Amino acid sequence: MDTGSKLSRRDFIKLATLGFGSLSLAAGCAPQHPAGRAVLSDDDAGLLGAIADRIIPADAWPGGRENGVVSFIDRQLAGPYRRFRREYRRGLDAMTGTCLEKYRKRFEALSTEEQNSFLREMESGRLRDGDWKGGFSNRFFEMLRSHAMQAYYGSPRHGGNPNYASYKMMGIDYPPIIGQNRYRF
Amino acid sequence: MAKREPVQIDRKHTQIREQVIPVKKVSPPLRILAVAFTLAVVACGGFYYYWGAASPRSTCESCHEIESSSDMWAHSGHRDFACKECHGTALSSGLHSLKEKGMMFVHHFTGTGPERIGLDEEQVLEMTENCRRCHGAEYARWISGGHSTTYAAIFLNEKHNTAEQLNADCLRCHGMFFGGTIEDLVTPVSRKGPWKLAAVGQSNQPVIPCLTCHRAHQEGSPAVPADYTDPGKIFYGRRGGPSTVLFYDRYEKTHVQASALPILTLREGERDVDVSDDPRQRVCFQCHAPNAFHQAGTGDDRTPRGVHEGLSCLACHDSHSNESRRSCINCHPAISNCGLDVTKMNTTYVESRSPNNIHFVRCLDCHTKGIPAKHESRGQTE
Amino acid sequence: MRNNHVNAVVVGAGAGGGVVAKELSTAGLSVVLFERGDWVSFEDHDNDELLSQRTTVLGNAFGPDDDRYRRVVVGGDGSTEIVYPSDGAYSNIAACVGSGTVSYGAMAWRFMAEDFRMKSTYGTVEGSTLEDWPVSYDDLEHCYEKAEWEIGVAGDSSLNPFAAPRKKHYPMPPFSYNREATMLESAMKRMGLHPFPIPMLRNSVPYSGRPACVRRRTCCGFACPINAKCGTHNTVIPAALSTGNCELRTRCVVGSLIIDASGRITGVEYFDRENTKQEQTADVIVVAASATETPRLLLNSTSKHFPSGVGNRYDWVGRNLQGHAYTGAFGLFEEDIFDDVGPGATLAISDFSHHNPGIVGGGILANEFTRLPYLFSNIRPPGSPLWGEEHKEFQRKYFRRNVQVVGPIQEMPFFDSRVQVDPAVRDSWGIPVVRLSGHRHPKDAEGTEFLSRKAEAILKEAGAFQTWRHLPGSGLSGGQHQAGTCRMGEDPQTSVTDRFGRVHDTPNVFVSDASLHVTNGGFNPALTIMALGYRVGEHIAGEWQKGNRFK
Repeated sequence: MDTGSKLSRRDFIKLATLGFGSLSLAAGCAPQHPAGRAVLSDDDAGLLGAIADRIIPADAWPGGRENGVVSFIDRQLAGPYRRFRREYRRGLDAMTGTCLEKYRKRFEALSTEEQNSFLREMESGRLRDGDWKGGFSNRFFEMLRSHAMQAYYGSPRHGGNPNYASYKMMGIDYPPIIGQNRYRF
Repeated sequence: MAKREPVQIDRKHTQIREQVIPVKKVSPPLRILAVAFTLAVVACGGFYYYWGAASPRSTCESCHEIESSSDMWAHSGHRDFACKECHGTALSSGLHSLKEKGMMFVHHFTGTGPERIGLDEEQVLEMTENCRRCHGAEYARWISGGHSTTYAAIFLNEKHNTAEQLNADCLRCHGMFFGGTIEDLVTPVSRKGPWKLAAVGQSNQPVIPCLTCHRAHQEGSPAVPADYTDPGKIFYGRRGGPSTVLFYDRYEKTHVQASALPILTLREGERDVDVSDDPRQRVCFQCHAPNAFHQAGTGDDRTPRGVHEGLSCLACHDSHSNESRRSCINCHPAISNCGLDVTKMNTTYVESRSPNNIHFVRCLDCHTKGIPAKHESRGQTE
Repeated sequence: MRNNHVNAVVVGAGAGGGVVAKELSTAGLSVVLFERGDWVSFEDHDNDELLSQRTTVLGNAFGPDDDRYRRVVVGGDGSTEIVYPSDGAYSNIAACVGSGTVSYGAMAWRFMAEDFRMKSTYGTVEGSTLEDWPVSYDDLEHCYEKAEWEIGVAGDSSLNPFAAPRKKHYPMPPFSYNREATMLESAMKRMGLHPFPIPMLRNSVPYSGRPACVRRRTCCGFACPINAKCGTHNTVIPAALSTGNCELRTRCVVGSLIIDASGRITGVEYFDRENTKQEQTADVIVVAASATETPRLLLNSTSKHFPSGVGNRYDWVGRNLQGHAYTGAFGLFEEDIFDDVGPGATLAISDFSHHNPGIVGGGILANEFTRLPYLFSNIRPPGSPLWGEEHKEFQRKYFRRNVQVVGPIQEMPFFDSRVQVDPAVRDSWGIPVVRLSGHRHPKDAEGTEFLSRKAEAILKEAGAFQTWRHLPGSGLSGGQHQAGTCRMGEDPQTSVTDRFGRVHDTPNVFVSDASLHVTNGGFNPALTIMALGYRVGEHIAGEWQKGNRFK
């Protein structure tokens, strides 16, 4: 149904109710999700941000967290990556669980070197059985890695890479300077 | 330039007139209703007044969707203007805006809102009128120049359309806020006309409105009047700062600051052309661009080479009108280094058909036997 | 509402179907052209890498969608997995008017004479169903020419000494080289090779009322914003529609052929855009739905006359699925090579297409289309980290300093690489889906080993300080160059169609897409699919005008 073109009677009643109700409610209404996220909790976002900063660390150019990896993943999990939600849930919980057991700390609290070596173990698939709370690790790592790259190097419209920062880093013009053919009129 | 109708922009904002209803004798239940109604009107009116005047922190921004816009506004040169000055209120265009605002609540609570909030073309054109209220001089220059050209002038030009098929990329620089595709705008999309715009009302709308290069929430400082308290040290309150111009990227549906736009690398054969580092002209290069090889003089490139190489577009052109007729005097006194009045030389400045394009002319184009030695200072003999 | 009977139904408005629809409708036949997708516009997805046809991670810009379509892929160990169009394993072909010709890189290769006579040229290959085509290059030459002129190709074949003979030049001059190609050209010449500009289905000058290309980086994998790329969507399909004889039905999914009690095929059953089941009867049915969807449609059309599917009496429908064994090498350079002149690929050599010692067939080598940032993030020398500081530094340092030389190795047809219909999984219309299984023939690895070494040598000669080769795996091939699943042949026991694409055992069902390819050449296949479209279309139209009603 196209809700944008005509004001149906039902819409009108909805509007009238909301319109008056909103006068008193609006000032107190809270955002539905923390920091405008659709799927991820604050804890999830903190963990993913820490992972993103290892996959694409900050240097003279922004790291993964700053360059929108978390907001990209959040937005895609509400869209085309809905089908990966379960894997994310399991994978993130397994990471936290495994880190707590192994280091008595959450992943976010580990040192950079500890984080890197943990991720390298995930990548290699060596974290298994008793070490890894959740059944798989290298496949989840590959998912995190490729989604972080998509966020960092893809178009800003998907939630990551604000202002095409990565294009600037790579020396790629955006928007490209490209003219049209010259026609003699 | 061909004569054309002035730009007409429909104004949606209308004054709200209160109607005076004569009161007759009414029965008690009706009276109660009337009192309740009056109270409600007064309460709403009061709230409406408060809503329009209060800080957006406690009003508009209560809904998180506009937080970033509101933050940008708070750092903008327009921060002394209330939201409603440009956005109007829920009542400023009657049912239309009431519905619009109401739907925001529906979207908010049903979670069906758009991923990104932006102005549609109609609203962008309304903004042009808002800009005009304060920036009358700039508006006047814009309307007098080429950049206020219209949909009809650009998309229904027979000479163009028979030479080159209209295509989606036209909309990158003309009609960048148009909500549909080129097929939605003009029919037929072929070199065989006759062409017509799908929406008749589109004809006289400008294709490069203010918001192409400007953004109302752009970071900046409000103009500060000169401080005359100490006549010996008049302080004008002018701060240098990054240029506030931007380019609207149709595909990402966002503005890109001039300083963040790519720097043109231009080659003349193998030679790198010296291009001014004025960030503002990066906006010009987005549309007045050379071909993909970035060869000088291709596509719509007019980057100065020759005697004017290294100059910014804006050294000569007024940014709103493109006017450049009065610009020579800025750098050239009555007579030039050669002892000649540059405004009378054989260039396209004097005569559009001159072989010496003012953008590319070189000393050698006229001094074909070699460039004479430079005068150390005028009047001195050699 | 019943649909009026028409002379011909064409299923699929891609490279093959678009051409056939044009040939038939200009000959006066009434045609209904079915397309499961819709018209697409550049504006729908513009420059978005993550939806482009090369990196479909967030979906397919040109369809099909992940919500309604799926396939089953059988792994090497016999396990099955459901895959979606945005997964690589799905072997997706675009679902839109023009199909892949909207977003392709648009290389316009003619196969060589040897490509039609592989068995005669190279002999039998153990374990492969390698065979000669029932048509020769000479049979197809005028069809290639028609494709080049009606759809539009820019090139200069005089620079390629290995090109098959032609009667007429290309209609447009070739494209100029970008910086990378200029560098490779001199390296190749130093090596005694014969570089030339790649023939492209793209306007180098204004042609057919459409403008010349402006060389954007987002070309291969994207729609063209200025309509300079030549596909069936902006040439033959509009020409078919303008005859008034052709009706294009978009967003209509054909599920099966209608077989009457006598075993005659009378039309197609399809789901319209409201997902309502409808029938369209016709005298002639042309299936041009791709080398995966065409066999699916034939296999899903069963009756007592065709118990295992139309044309499948000898179990050849869906067999010999092949694509291209893409291989080549990367090189890193000390200075900037990338000049952002699209689409990247501009130069090729055909020196290694045939008669390579010990190799069956071969392939062209060309510089590769622009690799955008996300795609590039997966390109690293062996042993290099795929994340972390070094990965980021590489991304920054070598995006402008890497060159890829790449080519398609002609694959050996393999009987057990195949398209079947899955017994259990169905799409959202309830139609049994494609089930893919098999693997490459071991001989392909010899070809890729050979060709990748040549690519590496070229890069070294050009001055690369580091090079590495990339080789395809041994798994199932298909992808966007999928072919071979309804091969042409003289013998009904070892092929699916005759030399004009008519399905054996039926008088009026034709195939017109890469399914017909007996072998897939060492070239991108688009122009050959178009040429076959002209051949099939010409044949049907010619017979029709002689009074043959294909009873």
